[in-house]
Parts: sequence; structure tokens; C-alpha cells
Amino acid sequence: MKRIYLFTLIIMVLQAGCSKLDEVPESFLVTEQFYRNESEAVAAVTAIYRKLYESGQSLYNSLFQIGVEMATDDYEAGPRARNAHVRAISGLTHDASNDRMQELWRQSYSAISAANVAIDKIAEIDAANINETVRARLINEAKFLRALNYFNLVRWFGGVPIVLHETSSLSAEALYVEKATEEDVYQQIIKDLNSAGQLPNWKSYGAADIGRATSGAAKSLLAKVYLTKKDWANAVLKSKEVIDNEGYDLFPQFSDVFAVAKKNGIEHIFSAQFQGNSGYQGNSLASRSAPADIPGINGDYADALHWEGNLYQSFAANDARLPVTFVTQMVSPADGKLYVLSKPQFHKYYDEKVVGSPGQSSKNLPIIRYAEVLLIYAEALNEQNGGPNSEAYQAIDKIRNRAKITRLQDVAPALSQSQFRDSVFQERRKELVFEYQRWFDLVRRGADYYVATLKAAGKTQAAPRHIHFPTPQRELDLNPKLKQHPDWINY
Amino acid sequence: MPGTYRIQTTNKMRKKSLLYSITLYLLLLLTGSAIHAQNPATINSVLEGTVLDEVTNEPLDGANVIIEGVTNQTTTNSKGQFILRTGQKFPYNIIITFVGYEKKIVLATGSPVSVRLKPINNNLDDVVVVGYGTQRKTDVTGAVSSLSQSAIRQPLSSFDQALKGASTGVQVTQTSGQPGGGVSIRIRGGSSIQGGNEPLYVIDGFPVYNSSNSPGIASGAVVNPLAGINPADIDRIDILKDAAATAIYGSRGANGVVIITTKKGSPRKSAISYDGSYGQQSVQKKIDVLNAKQFAVLRNEVLYDTKPSGGKYQYLSEAEIAALGEGTNWQQEAFRNALVQSHQVSIAGGSSNTQYFISGSYNKQEGIIKNTDFTRIAVRANINARPVNRLTVSTNITASKADANIAPSGIIGSLLIMPPTATIYEPDGSYTLRNPFENIFANPIATLNETLNKSATIRFLGTGYAEYEIIKGLKAKVLLGTDISNDKEKYYVPSIIYEGAGTNGQASLGNSTTYSWLNENTFSWSKEFGKSALTALAGFTQQESANERFTAGAQQFVTDDLTYNNLESGSVLLRPTSGTYDWVLHSYLSRITYNYNSLYYLTASIRRDGSSRFGKNNKWGNFPSVSAAWNISKENFFTPLRDKVSDLKLRASFGTTGNLEIGQYQSLATLYSLNYLFGGNIISGFAPQRIANDNLGWEKTYQYNAGLDLGLLRNRLAISIEAYYKKTTDLLLNVEIPWTTGYATSLQNFGSVANKGIELGLKSKNLAGLFAWNSDLNISFNRNKVLAIGNNAQSYISGNYIIQVGKPLGTFYGTATDGILQQGKEAEKGKYTGNATPKAGDRLYKDINGDGSFTTAADRAIIGNAQPDFIFGFTNNFSWKGFDLSVFLQGVYGNQIINSNRQSLEMFTGQQNASVTALERWTPENPSTTIPRAKLDPAPVFSDRFVEDGSFIRVKDITLSYALPVSLLDRAKISAVSIYVTAQNLHTFTKYTGFDPEITSGSNVSPGTDSGIYPLAKSIIAGLRVTF
Repeated sequence: MKRIYLFTLIIMVLQAGCSKLDEVPESFLVTEQFYRNESEAVAAVTAIYRKLYESGQSLYNSLFQIGVEMATDDYEAGPRARNAHVRAISGLTHDASNDRMQELWRQSYSAISAANVAIDKIAEIDAANINETVRARLINEAKFLRALNYFNLVRWFGGVPIVLHETSSLSAEALYVEKATEEDVYQQIIKDLNSAGQLPNWKSYGAADIGRATSGAAKSLLAKVYLTKKDWANAVLKSKEVIDNEGYDLFPQFSDVFAVAKKNGIEHIFSAQFQGNSGYQGNSLASRSAPADIPGINGDYADALHWEGNLYQSFAANDARLPVTFVTQMVSPADGKLYVLSKPQFHKYYDEKVVGSPGQSSKNLPIIRYAEVLLIYAEALNEQNGGPNSEAYQAIDKIRNRAKITRLQDVAPALSQSQFRDSVFQERRKELVFEYQRWFDLVRRGADYYVATLKAAGKTQAAPRHIHFPTPQRELDLNPKLKQHPDWINY
Repeated sequence: MPGTYRIQTTNKMRKKSLLYSITLYLLLLLTGSAIHAQNPATINSVLEGTVLDEVTNEPLDGANVIIEGVTNQTTTNSKGQFILRTGQKFPYNIIITFVGYEKKIVLATGSPVSVRLKPINNNLDDVVVVGYGTQRKTDVTGAVSSLSQSAIRQPLSSFDQALKGASTGVQVTQTSGQPGGGVSIRIRGGSSIQGGNEPLYVIDGFPVYNSSNSPGIASGAVVNPLAGINPADIDRIDILKDAAATAIYGSRGANGVVIITTKKGSPRKSAISYDGSYGQQSVQKKIDVLNAKQFAVLRNEVLYDTKPSGGKYQYLSEAEIAALGEGTNWQQEAFRNALVQSHQVSIAGGSSNTQYFISGSYNKQEGIIKNTDFTRIAVRANINARPVNRLTVSTNITASKADANIAPSGIIGSLLIMPPTATIYEPDGSYTLRNPFENIFANPIATLNETLNKSATIRFLGTGYAEYEIIKGLKAKVLLGTDISNDKEKYYVPSIIYEGAGTNGQASLGNSTTYSWLNENTFSWSKEFGKSALTALAGFTQQESANERFTAGAQQFVTDDLTYNNLESGSVLLRPTSGTYDWVLHSYLSRITYNYNSLYYLTASIRRDGSSRFGKNNKWGNFPSVSAAWNISKENFFTPLRDKVSDLKLRASFGTTGNLEIGQYQSLATLYSLNYLFGGNIISGFAPQRIANDNLGWEKTYQYNAGLDLGLLRNRLAISIEAYYKKTTDLLLNVEIPWTTGYATSLQNFGSVANKGIELGLKSKNLAGLFAWNSDLNISFNRNKVLAIGNNAQSYISGNYIIQVGKPLGTFYGTATDGILQQGKEAEKGKYTGNATPKAGDRLYKDINGDGSFTTAADRAIIGNAQPDFIFGFTNNFSWKGFDLSVFLQGVYGNQIINSNRQSLEMFTGQQNASVTALERWTPENPSTTIPRAKLDPAPVFSDRFVEDGSFIRVKDITLSYALPVSLLDRAKISAVSIYVTAQNLHTFTKYTGFDPEITSGSNVSPGTDSGIYPLAKSIIAGLRVTF
């Protein structure tokens, strides 16, 4: 009997010591165990960059096109954009429950949250574990990305809640934040971008860090913020600072802007980075705009040109941007026949190396490039001085020169302020096609301009409220402190 | 260690002895030293005797002989003899017990005595297996059902399929007809929204939750993890339904418990059995789609509608169409008659001290879709032994290997919509790569023939225990168990088919290993005091499970020959992945049962569970239950009625159970990895995934049950009625939180769901005698309702479903059709088409929100529900001489199905094939009011058009067997031979237009969607059972 007791005893003692109820995940990291040293700080910031396009239809990987640009005179939902929410945006019948617009809100705050965590936690890392220069740089990168997301939000939704620290509790105070005024949001953006202006110049980053936010990116974005705020003096100042001091220039050829081999070149100030067929992520705009019915080219044709907007028709035939921006016919890689498209399709991100799976395009998406800084400078000068000066003409003509079209100085040397304004906006429209700029440019000019432009393009549902997006219904439902945008209360 | 063992005691001393023994045991646990005490004794009588089998008169070796009222006992030797030396004086009662025989009490007036024991018929009615023990059926106070032998014996690939229609309160639906595919089981309705809803399986004492540990490489339905258990090894299946029965499983009891007991040997001579079957399966029905001619006409019409300037024959000319035949019948090409076979050899037997059951089996089931199959090889060894007196040891061990070739996901849908004018092969013999008109899907026959999509699972599941009777009635048991499974998946898409053309071949491998162990330490005690009987159970258990997984893959291969066996030769490597998890459950459990004179029964149980899965403030939960029963028919006043009412018992119970199936690490603020490109290199980052919730805890289910067991006409008619109300609170819900936090949801205990229902079981012996006819009917009504869903929300929409307070789970949410737009009505009614440019022939929808126009998002309403009104099973057994015929019908009534296949087949785009309803489509000449026109680009609107009645009655199983007469067999030294023929799923009566109405997508939020699930086969199987 003794053996039996012993046997029992041994088993019970052995086993009782074997398992514990505390969860210690081994293939996950837990917040408490992270953000302790420099490499973890770098990882925290890397994650914010990825939130430029986290997965699927994401901000800078087509959501901007679907959720924002569809609501302009230049774009429409293509034959294969069958989703009702997408079609609603294209036809201006969207409301506060539009899921794509909700995604804009969600993904932007998700990126802001990652930035907040990084800013808070990196500041707390023990000095022994991180180089102070790196610490400052990483925090400024996070601030740049936070500002970029708030800048998008404030332009889409007007005043939005400002959250600047990690949400780490489920209490009501932590969960429910009320909207700040537009001005407060802008002040926060300016504060972050001023800080991010301390980032290294793009040339001082090593090869392994290409793609990070730079001083030039922060200043260029700040110039754009001032421009949007109609703070012309500061817009001039900041864009001039970029032009004079940051070492950027235009590529000699427009096609270089979208050449895989020229990625992150002299004109690219800040871009969303893509790389197809490498176990990474391709630029899905390439696939969304590619033809669906040519054998061997497996496009989706969901993002289409809105023909009635006359964008394509407004290009001069010899404009060097035309063949880069659009495609009108293609040879099938499968049967070798030439297929003429029923209307031009966007072509900027089409990567010839991945014909059969265009979604694997390795072309970057420019978020801000030097050409735009020149146009910001031209526009701000015109507004500041009550009309264009020669510097303003020079800035816009650099763009036109490169596009191989006549210089504005030559064809219209004495434009009034408003005529020059129209010229700049038209130049922006043609230069920045499919770069997520059109909606912002339209609403920047006010509700009347927006509505008139869209109605002229046959989008008859356009109304003044459309220069903002409705605050997502889900957020209103969940957050008792949140109020709908006044223009949208009855829609 | 045979021999006798004596203690002479008085009553008082016995009490002391009990206390002493417990103290001693506990002391032993602390000190590890064993002390043993025996008093020297005075001998007052010597009793000698023999114990024989009443039927065969063979001596019984190892029968237990005990003097009533004292602890003195002995066992018989191989000649059936025993000898007892005792301080007792004649006369006294001796109690003889032996496994497999009825207990007998004999008054010994002198020596010697001869005792004959009556073998127990292995009758399911006598005993039920409950948690951590067994009970006599008459003593049960909770809601427990046992499966009939005919249900268990169906030739099925996994035992959980046998639950279909076999018991009240259990709804079983197939998640895939893939060989080895899974089923979804709801016992008394689903009570969780996001947590698991499957019952807990307890296989020979080892609790298993049936969740797949697939590494996620293979495409399509995952193989059912329970398919590794050979159903032919199973002796009985008991289902615990109410809280009185399941509370002993605490935090895992809320979805019910299915207890599996495998076959054991018996102390008879060894018997070798062979059980083999062979059969053929075929698809129950095919879906009618257009042939090549009809399709070509449709496509011409669509192209003309899109571009009238191109003329009416943009696809094929009239002459070309006339020359077309039927075209490719894609379903015909993919479905086949498939073979199924199984072979099992077992040997069972033993002596009084050792019994064994050993089996080996081979099952192979081909799928009715080409290139799919399931093969299982399993062995089992179940051994019970009594190495020394009072000690029982037992092991139940099985090891199996299950291999499957799986149908790639989406294949059914592709077979239906692939145009009939497309060919399988190009004229040069190579595969036609894809649908020529739409680029989203590939040639399904090429996919089936050429894709390698395999899973291979090796599983070892074993439990072993030692039980020692410390003193009479008090037993200590230590059980150890382990469940080890390795799931490997292999996938290769060759470059010669469409899916692999872009990547030049893609190979992936994944492996997932799960190791669980279990330790249970229990004391059980039973005692009779006069007319009262008391049992008690107490114990501590712990279970831990750890999983490790990884995947790897590559693309761009020089040749397809090496498939997934040489990943390094792919020039583009896919990112490998790996992961691990671990969970632990600690439990204390206790149960007391009391009955007075077999009239009044009372049971109380409690379990205290601590789980690693929950927040640090909420690791532990208590799960109590109480139940009572009154056996009215045993009352004296009932005697006059006993002729008519042979049995009448009332039962009632209340208890609390829990659900912890939320996965691991959900309460922690975990990070997840995100990568980004810097300098053209992929760099890894980490971001927080959720907000920590230290308070995360159990889902709690409170269940009330009342039952009535009624036996009429000497139990020829047995009726069992159960009524229950089951309320689950603290639902584990991903409660939505404002996105401004950076997160979308947080897992919280929020919300509530209720299930209530009535179950009726009826067993009737219609005819007895030479020709016997038994019927068994079960019917269950369950009503499910969402009571609350958190944050004061009233509803949330999830795809085609809505979860709404006051409505059941599985409620469909969509648009309502309202006829077809006719010519001349465009201006008036066009706004109800949802199209920017409405045209006659477009479908009209109801303007549900009344805003004067139709939009898909805003004009939706509740348009159906996947919950049935009732489910039933009806079995009739007929026997005559050696013939036995059983007919098993099973049905579901009142549920609806979202027929997604039909939605896709009724888009008359000319880009993909369409259902034959396309022949009645709207045209100016045929102004249909139900079927819309052909159109290149219709919006895929989910509407009530695609919600169908899912009711059905199925002839599930008809088995005819014949047992050869013993007289014929004796000479051949064969003890039994029977042959049988089984037809499964022979016919289904239903209005449902899809392949099969018995379909589910498995999830509790969105059950009842048929989106191209592998259809269930019908089969004819012939088999042979021989016992030597």
C-alpha cells in the first residue's frame, strides 16, 4: 500500500507545480514589456508608418481614392466598384453611415494612437538605452505622422476630437472625447510640424532609412497647412524655406516621378512606400485602375475617370503628363492583340513588371512632392500680393516646362489674381491626378465653388454640406460627447 | 497480490477508521511516508464458497466477496473459490460483486456456500455516464440523454455526426460535406455571440473542446479534429444538457457536455471481431444551370444592352450558336461516384483481474468531388486491471493518423458559374486557364486536378487512472491524461494553372503541434444509512494546453515537379510565420447526491475554476448547481396505478455554468507586428492591439430545467419531457468603443442571450415477440433571443445579419424585392431600383425607410432567420428472426437559409453562368414580374429573393442487417456473423433549391448561409461483422 500512496503523492506534487494561471504570451508582446530600448522605439515608429496603409483598403493604399476622391469631378466608381457605399460617394448620396468614410476616421485615429503611444513611451525610455539624437528623431517622426493624420481629419470632418496620449483604460473619461474646434486642431498640427521640422534633411539619412519623414517633409506639409488655413504669409515663408534650403528639385522628365527605378528621388519629399511580389505590399491603385477585360491584365477597373469632368480633355495633346497619367489602349500580354479602351484609364501606378497581377505594383504613392511645393509657393504668393509676381509665374512655369507645354508667362503674362488662382488650381489638377489632391483642392475654394464644379460635371446631387464628411454615425452612437457636423445634422 | 485482508471493528471504530484513513491519506500527501495499521483479530467463523456464472456455470475469477456491515472482504481465485476468516458469527450477509454481473446479497448460515451471479445485459437504460462518474438512470436528477446503439453504429467518418437527430436538444449541422469535414453542434441553442458554442467533449475522461488547430495553409474546409477518433471504438455517448449535469464542468459546461466512453473488455473469453464495410457515394442533386446555347444567347443580349451600336450578335452569331452543343457541364466533370470503405479488427476479453479491448482500423472515404478524400488509420488499447485488492488501474489510449485531400475553397461556386462555353482544355491539350469573360476565377477542374491541398493529422489521446479504495465506500482516484496532436498542411499551386501562373508555382507548408495534459485527483464516497443513500465527490483537477505553429512558403519555381518538398528552390520566399499559445485551467469540484428510499433525490454540485484566459482581477469563478427528483411511481399511494403507469418521475434543477472559449491573451494589452519599407527593405514594427481588460471574466449561463419521465404499460411506452430556460449573461463581446481611442473594440463581459425550450422524447415498444417493432421519436423546440448587446446598443449589423435585442441570433437583414420595373414606369418607379440609370427589367425594391427612393444600405429589414422552430429525429426498428431493419428520419422545420449560390447564379451578367431561371428573365417580349433582365453590371443586392425555406425531412439512414443463426456458426467456431446494408441520406424532402438544406457557416453571428459548401453525399454501404 505504501507504494500506492507514494505514487499518488508524487504525481500530485509533480503536477501541481507544473501549471500557472498567469498568462505570459510567448509569441505576443505585451505593452508592459515593450518600449524599453532604442530598437523597440524604432519598431514603435515603424508601426505608425505602416498605418499609412495598414491592410486592405487603407488610407494611402486606395481608401483615399474610394472614400474621398470619388466625390469630385475627376473620378467616379468604375464598372467593378459595385459596393453601394462606394457608389454613394461617387454619386454624392452618402450619409453618416457610409462605411468608407467611417474607415477614413477609424484608420486615421488608429495611426494617431500608434503615434501617441510612440511619443509617450519613447520619451520614457531610460537614457542608458537610447541615443538622445535618435530619441528626438523618432519622436519627431511620430509627430510628423500624427500631424499628417490630423491634417487629413480636420479637412475631411472639420473639428474632431484631439487625442494626444495612449488610451489605456476603459473608463468613460478615457473613451469619450469631445470635438475640438478646427482652429485648435490646426494649432496642434502646426505645433507637431514645427517640432518635426527639426528632423534630419533627407540627404543626411543613411540608405537604410530612406522613406522616413524629413525636415523637408515637415516643412512642406506645414506650408500646405498654412495654405489651407489661408495664412498666405506663412505659406510663402515655409514653401520658400523648402525651395531654398532643402535641396529638392523636379525630375527632368515627368515620367521619372512614377518610375520604379527613380523611387525616393530628388522630387519625392514624402511617399507611401510600396513593393510588390516580395512578401510585402503592392500599390493597389494600379490594379483598381487597370482594365478588367483585356486578357492577361487582371485589373479591377474600380477607379474610373469621370469623363464629364473634362479632366482628360483639358490636357494639351503634347502634354508630357498625358501618357504617364492615362492609358487609352493596351496590347494583351495573353493574345498579343491591341485593345482600345472605351475611355482613358489611370495609369500612373501601372507597373509593367507585374502585368498579370497589377496589384503587385512597386510604384510609390507621393504624399507630397516638390512640384506641389512649387505650386503652393505660386498660389500663396498670388494670394499674399493681390496678384501674381514673377516668382509666382516662375514657380508654375517650372511645372509647365517639365510637362513640355507652353509657359504661362508666355501665353498669359498679365493674369489677374483670380485668373492666376484658377491657373494654379488647374495646374494642380493636371499635375497631381490620382495623387489624392482633387477633393482637398475643390473644398479649399469653398462650398459654392465645389457645388458649381460638380454640378457642371453632371454630379447633380452635390450640395454645400459635401465640403465636409459627416461624422461617422457609429462614433456618434458610441460617444455621448460627440456631435454631428452642423451641416450634416439633418442628413 | 492476492490474499485476504482483515480488520475487525465495531461501528464506532469504523467511523473512527474512516476519519483516520482520510487523515492518514492527507498526512501521506504531506510527509510522503506511509504507515499501515492492522489489528490482530479473533476468528469466529470460516466461510468457504464458490462463485459461478448463472448462465454458463463457469467459475468466476476475481469476484469480490464482502461481509455486509464490515470491511472484511476477499476475492475469488481462478476456480471461483474464496475463503473468509472473520470475527463475525453465522449467520451474516455476504455481498458478491463482479464487473459485468449484477450484485448479489446472500445470507450465509454456514460454510460452504455457492453463489450464482447473473450477467448484466449491456443495457443503455440502466446506467448513464455523468461527469466524473456514472449513475443509475433511475437516480438521475438532471437532463441527460444517451445515444442509442443504432445511432452510434452508423458508418460515419466521425462520431459527432452520430449526434444528428439522435437526441433531444441537440442540433447538428454539417459545416462541410468534405470527407472528414466538420459539424457544428448546438445543445439547447447557441448561447454565446462571439465565444465558442460547441459543446465540451469528454473522451474517456479527457475534456476536449473541438476547435481546429489548423496552421492555416490548406485552402477550404478544415478537417474535423474529432475525425481522428475511430467511431467504431465508441461504446456509448451521453449528452449532458442542463446545469445540474454540466455544472460539474464549470467554466466549460455552458454549451453542454458530450461524454464519450470507448469500448472496454469484459471478463469473458477473448473474442476477435472483424467489422468491414464498402460502399459508394454520390451527389444528392445538381443545380440546373444554362447550357452553352442558352448561355450564348444570354451573353449576346448583355453585350447588346451594354453597347447597342455593336449589334445583337457581339459574342456569337446565330449560326455559331446553332452549332453549339450542351457545352461543358462543369458539375458533371467535378462530381463522381466515390468509394468509401472501412475495416476494423478488434479483440476483447480478459479475466476477472484484467480486461482489454484492442482494435485497429482503417477508413478511407473518397469525396464526391474529384481529388478529395479522407483516410484514417487508428489503433486503440483499453486495459483495466486490478493488480492488487482494492486497486483498479485503467488506461484508454488511442493513436491515429488522418490524412485528407481537401477541396480548395470556392470550388463549388466556381463549378456553378463557370461558363458552359468555356472548355476544360485548350485545343493543344493544356488547361484553359480561366473564365474567358471575367478574370476573377480560374478553371475549377484544373484547380481540382492540379492543386495539392492536403492536411495530415497525427493524434495521440490517452488517459490512465489508478483508483484505490481506502476504506469501504471511500475511493481515491488519480487520473492522468494527455492529448497530443500534430497538424500538418501542405499546399502547392503549380504554374500550369491560372492561380499559379502569376507566381510560377506557389508552395506552402504549415505545422501546428498541440500538447495538452490533464491531471484529476478525486475522492469519492458512498454510503447507505438505512433507507438513505449518500454519495460525495471532491477533487482537484488541472489541465494545460500548449500550441506551437509555423508556416513557410515560396514562389517562382523552376519546375512544378518538386511541389512543396523543396521550398528553398523557389526564388521568392514568402514570409515565414510562427506562434505559440498556452492556457491553463485549475479546478476544484465537489458533488453530493442523496436519495431517500429511491423516492426523493437531491443533488448539489459546485466547481471552482481558475483560467489563465481571463483578466487578472477575474481569474476564478464558482459554478454551483442543485437538483431534485421525486420518483412518484415508487410511492405507496401509487401502487394501484402501477399497472398502467409503470414509471413516473419529476425532476427539477438550477445551476450556473460558464464559457471560456475566447482564445488566449484576450485580456492583455498585446502588441502585434506591422512592417514597413525603409531603404527598400522590410522592417518590422510593433503597435498595440487592444486596451487591457483586467476584469475580463466568464460568460455565465443560468439554467433552469424541469423534467418528467413517464413509463406507461410496463414501460412499453417511455416518455421524457424537458422544459428549460437558459440565460447567458456577461457575454464575451467585442464591445465597440470609439475609434478615437485607436481601437475598434474591447473584449468585455457585456450583454445577454436567452434560450428556452421544450424537448420531448418518446420510446415505444410497439410490438414485442418474434416480430418486434420499436420506435424512438425525439423532438425539440428552442427559442433564442438576444436580451442585451452592450453599451445600450439595440442592434448591430454584420454583413447580411443583424444582432438585435429581442430577436434571435442568426437573423437575416436585407432588402425586400418588389417586382420588376416595367416599360413606361421608369420615371415613376426607377428610383426604387437603386440604379443611377434605371431601365425596364431592373429589379424593384421596397422603400423601407420611406424616404422616396431605394438605397441598399438604408432600405433593409429583417427578412429571415436561421433558427428552426423545431428539430426532430424518428427511428423505427423492426426485427424478425435474424433480420433487423432500422429506418431513421431526421428533420428540421421553420428555419431559413441564405442561398448565396443562387444570388450569384441569378446575376445574369453573361460574364459567368446563370441558373436556369435566366430562361424566364425579363425581356420586352417576356415582361416578367419576378426575374430581372440580363445586364452586364448588376449590383449584388442581398434581398429576400435569396432567403429560402430550409425545412427538410431526410431519410438519414436505412439499415437492414441479418445475423446468421448460431446453429450454422457453431461448427465453424464462429460466434456471430451479421451482414448489413446501409443507405445514408437516401432522400431529402425539402423546398430548398440549393444542394442541401443542412448547411451552416458555423459561426453564431452568421449561421445558415449556403455559399458553396461541399455538398453532403448520399451513400449505399454494405458491411459484414464477424466475431470469432
